[in-house]
Amino acid sequence: MKIKLIIGEKEELIEISENKTVKNLLDIVDIASETVVVKKNDCIVIDEELVEDGDLIEIIQVIYGG
Amino acid sequence: MNSCDKCGNPNIIIKKKQSGQKLCKDCFIKSTQNKVLKDIHKYGLLEKGDKVLLGLSGGKDSVMLLDILNSLKKRNIIDLIAVTIDEGICGYREEGIEIAARNAKKLGVEHRVVAFKEYFGMTLDDIISKNNVKEGRRNACTYCGVFRRWIFNRVARDEGATKIATGHNLDDETQSIVMNYLEGNIQNLTRIGVKSETRSNKFTVKIKPLREIPEKEIALYVVARELDVHFAGCPYASESFRAEVGSFIKEMSKEHPTIMYSTLRGFDKMKPVLKKEFSQESIVGVCENCGEPTGARLCKACTFFKDWETD
Repeated sequence: MKIKLIIGEKEELIEISENKTVKNLLDIVDIASETVVVKKNDCIVIDEELVEDGDLIEIIQVIYGG
Repeated sequence: MNSCDKCGNPNIIIKKKQSGQKLCKDCFIKSTQNKVLKDIHKYGLLEKGDKVLLGLSGGKDSVMLLDILNSLKKRNIIDLIAVTIDEGICGYREEGIEIAARNAKKLGVEHRVVAFKEYFGMTLDDIISKNNVKEGRRNACTYCGVFRRWIFNRVARDEGATKIATGHNLDDETQSIVMNYLEGNIQNLTRIGVKSETRSNKFTVKIKPLREIPEKEIALYVVARELDVHFAGCPYASESFRAEVGSFIKEMSKEHPTIMYSTLRGFDKMKPVLKKEFSQESIVGVCENCGEPTGARLCKACTFFKDWETD
C-alpha cells in the first residue's frame, strides 16, 4: 500500500506492507519515537495506531539533542 | 480498548508509559494545564500580585509556560513580562526570537529582547571562537548559563519582577541531578529545586513550574494546542556533558518509564539532608566590577572576563 510521508520539509510517497503501525513506520525510517509527535491525516496519533492505504503521515521532530 | 480514560473519546493522543493513562487531545491539554497550576499552588511558586519575568526562548518549554502563565495574567493574578535573550548564535537564535515575539504579541504580553552583545560586548559565538583553542576551555553551555543567569537577574531587577520563571522540564531537572552527582558537585546539588531560596534580596527568586512535566509531554502539548514553536536544537548543545547524560537517561527510560520521576522524588527527599550537611552559607556581597550579587570578590561572569584579559 502507498502512503504520503512528511518529515520536516521533505514530502514523499512511500510503499509499505499492510498491518504496519506508526511505531513500525518510525522504525523503517529510523526515527526514535521518543523524539517525535506523529499526525495521521492531520490528527495526533499514538505509536500503536495502524497505518492504512492512502494515509497522510506527518512526523514532527520535537526533541533534539540530549 | 484504546479510549480516553476521562471522557471515553476513542481518539487518544497519548498512552502514558509511566502510568498507563490514556487521554484524548482535549483531556490531555486540560490535565496538563491543571497539573502545572496545581504544582504552582502546591509548591507556593506564585503569589497574587507577583510580577513574573518569563524567560521566553521561543522553544516548546517556554512557549507552553507562556500559554499557562498567561491564563493567570488574564485572571489578574499575576503581571507578566516575557524576556528573550539573544546569545548571538548565528543561524539558530534569529528564528527563536521571531517566534517568541509573535507568541508574546498574540497574547498581548510585554516582550523584551536583550542581547549578550549589549551587556557583555560580545556574542556567544565570539566567546566560543575566542576560547576555541585554549587549554581548559569550558563548553559553550557553561558560559551561556552563567551569562544568561546574570542577564535575567539584572533585567528582573530593572523591571521590578518578583519572580523569574523558566521552562525547565522533568528531563532537564533529572539531567541536572544525575550530572552533578556523577561529577561530585554536591554544592550544585544543594541548589537544585522547584524554587530558589534566595540569600540576598538582589537575587530574584527563580521558579520552575514545568519541573514535573516530561519533555515529550510538553512537545505533545504545544503540537496539540497548535502553538507557534521553534523546534530546533542549539548547535552547541551536543558537545555538552548534559547531552550525554540526557541520552543515557532517555535510553534507560525506554525500559524503565518511571525512572525520571523516581530520580526527582528521591532527590527531593534527600535534599534537606544535603543542604544541612553541605550547603555553604556564604555571605552575599556584590561583585566589585558589575555590582551583581556574589559570595566572592567577583561574580562568575566577571571572573570569566578577567581570565580572558589576563590570557
